[in-house]
Amino acid sequence: MSAATAGTLSPKLERYRELFEKRFASDALIEHRRDAFNQFIQAGFPTPRDEAWKYTNLRRLESRDFAVAESAPVGIDPGQHPWISCTANRLVFINGHWSPALSSMMPQPPGATVLSLGEWLKHEPERAQAYLSNSPSAQTVFERLNAAFAEDGVVIDLAADAMFDEPVHVVHLWTAGLQSSMSHPRIIVRAGRNSRLTLIEQYLGLGDSALGCSEVFTNSVVGVELQNGAQMEHYRLQQEGSRTFHIGQISVRAQEHARYAIHDLAFGGLLSRLNLTIQLQGSGSHAELKGLFTPDNSQHIDTQTRIEHIAPHTTSEEDYRGIAEGRGRGVFNGKVFVHQGAQKTDARQSSRNLLLSPTAEIDTKPELEIYANDVKCSHGATTGQLDTTALFYLRSRGISENDARTMLIQAFAQSIVSSIRSPEVRGYVETLLKGRFSLRQVNP
Amino acid sequence: MLSISNLHVRAGDRQILNGLSLEVGAGEVHAIMGPNGSGKSTLAQVLAGREGYEVTEGSVSYRGKDLLALPPEERAREGVFLAFQYPVEIPGVNNVYLLKAGLNAVRKHRGEPEVDAFEFLALIREKMKLMQMDESFLSRGVNEGFSGGEKKRNEILQMSVLEPSLAMLDETDSGLDIDALRVVADGVNSLRNPERAIVLVTHYQRLLDYIEPDRVHVLSGGRILKSGDKSLALELEKRGYDWVKQEAAAA
Ligand SMILES: Nc1ncnc2c1ncn2[C@@H]1O[C@H](COP(=O)(O)OP(=O)(O)OP(=O)(O)O)[C@@H](O)[C@H]1O
Ligand SMILES: [Mg+2]
Repeated sequence: MSAATAGTLSPKLERYRELFEKRFASDALIEHRRDAFNQFIQAGFPTPRDEAWKYTNLRRLESRDFAVAESAPVGIDPGQHPWISCTANRLVFINGHWSPALSSMMPQPPGATVLSLGEWLKHEPERAQAYLSNSPSAQTVFERLNAAFAEDGVVIDLAADAMFDEPVHVVHLWTAGLQSSMSHPRIIVRAGRNSRLTLIEQYLGLGDSALGCSEVFTNSVVGVELQNGAQMEHYRLQQEGSRTFHIGQISVRAQEHARYAIHDLAFGGLLSRLNLTIQLQGSGSHAELKGLFTPDNSQHIDTQTRIEHIAPHTTSEEDYRGIAEGRGRGVFNGKVFVHQGAQKTDARQSSRNLLLSPTAEIDTKPELEIYANDVKCSHGATTGQLDTTALFYLRSRGISENDARTMLIQAFAQSIVSSIRSPEVRGYVETLLKGRFSLRQVNP
Repeated sequence: MLSISNLHVRAGDRQILNGLSLEVGAGEVHAIMGPNGSGKSTLAQVLAGREGYEVTEGSVSYRGKDLLALPPEERAREGVFLAFQYPVEIPGVNNVYLLKAGLNAVRKHRGEPEVDAFEFLALIREKMKLMQMDESFLSRGVNEGFSGGEKKRNEILQMSVLEPSLAMLDETDSGLDIDALRVVADGVNSLRNPERAIVLVTHYQRLLDYIEPDRVHVLSGGRILKSGDKSLALELEKRGYDWVKQEAAAA
């Protein structure tokens, strides 16, 4: 098949092929990679004709020539690091490559394993591959691209009842002054019966000025398997530079009475897209999604969530908020799918959006598809501007217009931020938002 | 202290105030009464700086300053306070945070240092006691889920913390039970002194039993039709507004 399609490839896909062959010709897992790569080539980049990509045009991403990212030396003053503090289990990836020097791990408790995927692939490629193949996936084009190019990432494995004392913190950091590069990190979580995990995923870029910040492409894939009674708290902070293309896929499978909670916070990037797919496969399983996205300037941030209620007595709660400024554009599409037989499903979804400038835009689309008859489902979506009456009320108490705006914007984000259970993450996000929304020029 | 002269105000196509004039001196309490829709709240909101109203004619001077030229926050810092007829709910903005931010803005304007945490807490405790409000209200969002009467009390709490020179109360008595009316009246009376002026917008004589006004005005059709002493309020309670309108039409 590869030979047949080779002749008809677009120059852009042809370039991906060259990169692929050059990088992986002698890789131990070349056959697996080539399968994935061929599937990627066959499908090609999605276009706005694909319903799921209606609002997000990938032409710019497709037109770029990215090299496979290489690690680079990075001088980070330990007191000045850009990531969330106070996490003892930290794995730092520089341009997609694990940096043992910047990482730090506590002794691993019994039954709890965390390791660099890159290391594992080097030492036991076949076993690692088998493990990867079993991880939940949504079979998207970008997952295929990731499967073809993935070189590093994190594997977290918890035996029954196991848990880490501290969150596992994964930092993906782009260095400044790179040539255009791409990275395809992968995180795999397998949480055994009644195990517990807090995972913090953080995507950062150094030197975010027009000059220092490189044009880069992050294509991350996260697969989570939660066995009966497992509980996972997941924080995802996307704070990449203003010239970054960020594509993310999270696929979660929850078995009986498993609980999955995520805070999806998307602040950075030029074009950012997250697909979050959750399958509630076991009865009594529960998903809780809180999201906040803040497109500014000419940022485009797209979030697609899909919650599948497959087993009876499954519950989901989803609350997403968007704040758009400048020419920022946000997209939120939340799909709740209740399968036949998923009786007693309880699904709630809300999407609220705030537009701070006349040129900002947020498209929101809640979707419910229900094939069971005894269910409770609700959804609501609103998009509006700052409440002028509230603004006046605050100003009439002596508060400046600028401060009043900041207070109202932060108040809007508050329901998401205040639900962050980890104090370190909450404090970090509060500071981030304060910096982001205070002391700015008042939009006319 | 406050001098309003020939004020004309329009919102959209609608002319709401038509040549309203009013003088309020320091130390005085004025009551403004009048039928629904006559422009009482519009007057109060315009004085506090609400956008969306166009002043087409007339002027307002406050302590010798052109009040209408100031943005709302400057007016507040200069000592103008409006207790809203419909206090606004702002979930996510903490009640105590607003009180502190407002107080510090006023203090900064006066060249005073920011209030320290202990001092502030003591002050708030004292004022809340006066308003008979439970301290749990402090940690809630501004007016969030407050009952009608609780919202009104919260307005007076803010007023007593900010200690304005000119306090305008827009129907603060509406929706209060009898005990709460007393509490609110005590709050207002405790603020009364020779340097302050108070303007009460109300529909009911009852409030004026507790807060005795120096002057009572009837606002109707966007202007003051009649002014008198506190006995005018009693007369209005008995006779309604028609006779005032007729008297004015005949004049
Ligand atoms: N922004 C606005 N746009 C259009 N009309 C307005 C606006 N604000 C007030 N009005 C109108 O102006 C009139 C006066 O309103 P206002 O709220 O000042 O009355 P009021 O005397 O306070 O009445 P009430 O006793 O019912 O509180 C009303 O008819 C009202 O509908
Ligand atoms: Mg009114």
